Amino acid sequence: MDTTLFDPGLLGVIVAAGLLTWMTRVGGPWLIARVRLGPAANAALEATPGAVLVALVAPAALSRPSDAIAALFVCLIARRVPMALAVALGVLAVVILRRLL
Amino acid sequence: MTTITLPSPVSVPREVALGAVHALPILAGAVPFGLLLGSLAAKAGLTPLDMGLMSGIIFAGSSQFVTVEMWGHGAPGLAVIASVLLVNLRHLLMGATLAPRFQGVPPVRAALALFFMTDEVWALALRRGGQLTFAYWFGVGLTLYVGWLCATVAGTLAGALVSDPAAWGLDFTFIAVFLCLLAGLWSGAGSLPPWLASAAAALAVHSLLPGGPWHILAGAVAGGAVAAWRGRSATPGQEAK
Repeated sequence: MDTTLFDPGLLGVIVAAGLLTWMTRVGGPWLIARVRLGPAANAALEATPGAVLVALVAPAALSRPSDAIAALFVCLIARRVPMALAVALGVLAVVILRRLL
Repeated sequence: MTTITLPSPVSVPREVALGAVHALPILAGAVPFGLLLGSLAAKAGLTPLDMGLMSGIIFAGSSQFVTVEMWGHGAPGLAVIASVLLVNLRHLLMGATLAPRFQGVPPVRAALALFFMTDEVWALALRRGGQLTFAYWFGVGLTLYVGWLCATVAGTLAGALVSDPAAWGLDFTFIAVFLCLLAGLWSGAGSLPPWLASAAAALAVHSLLPGGPWHILAGAVAGGAVAAWRGRSATPGQEAK
């Protein structure tokens, strides 16, 4: 039987990630009072969250045709229906498409 | 004054309750995700305590999905930490838009309140505008915090019941969630060049170094570089036109 209560290595990762996450939350109001970003740096910072999400999904979403079509479908409905529904429909679509393709 | 400090005529319990009520529809949407995250975490070998600590300390949905997925695939801890930081960098921008609300707030109080700033708390706080109070903020934040903690731990406890996520298309949930978050960031055709650059860089690096987190970093850098180049001469005022 696995009697592990928690993983110490993972806890270290969680604490470090949590601390950095908290710093990103506190950092906005803190920085805005102190730093004046140039237009290029500002544009890069604005584009970063989207670029990270694209990089996260691109390899998996384009790994096979069924998943790519389902991903496109989710993109099309994402702004028209609540997120939970968009995700549920996307999962349903991928299950059907994986059987067909 | 438009600071977050409590104006005297406002009832604290009423503001807390109002925040909690406003958080309920968001909670209804977040609970299934918490359950799902928990069940995926169980599949990745996390215990309920692991999950509870993660939700309690990080408290950021998409980066917790990233953590579970990467940890489950045996990614090195530093890579997981770096990816969480990259995913959560958006908080800097969100927080910057709330800066007027936090002007003059004691630093310790602001730091405590901002711990709870998820995308949803931020959106509700922004909507409150100048009416925003510290009590309302905590009404929203604590409701979502407790709900998220319970849902993710419950999902991990029940996780053994979900046998093979891929058979049910549940592996696609990660992709769908991130695509929905991405769609929320869409701000017209100008969003496209950095995203395409990111996709190209991520695919290229992923084909060379599959499994690692480096494609995420490559995509972030490529997207940021394209955006910086495109925005190098624009001022915020010009962009608004």
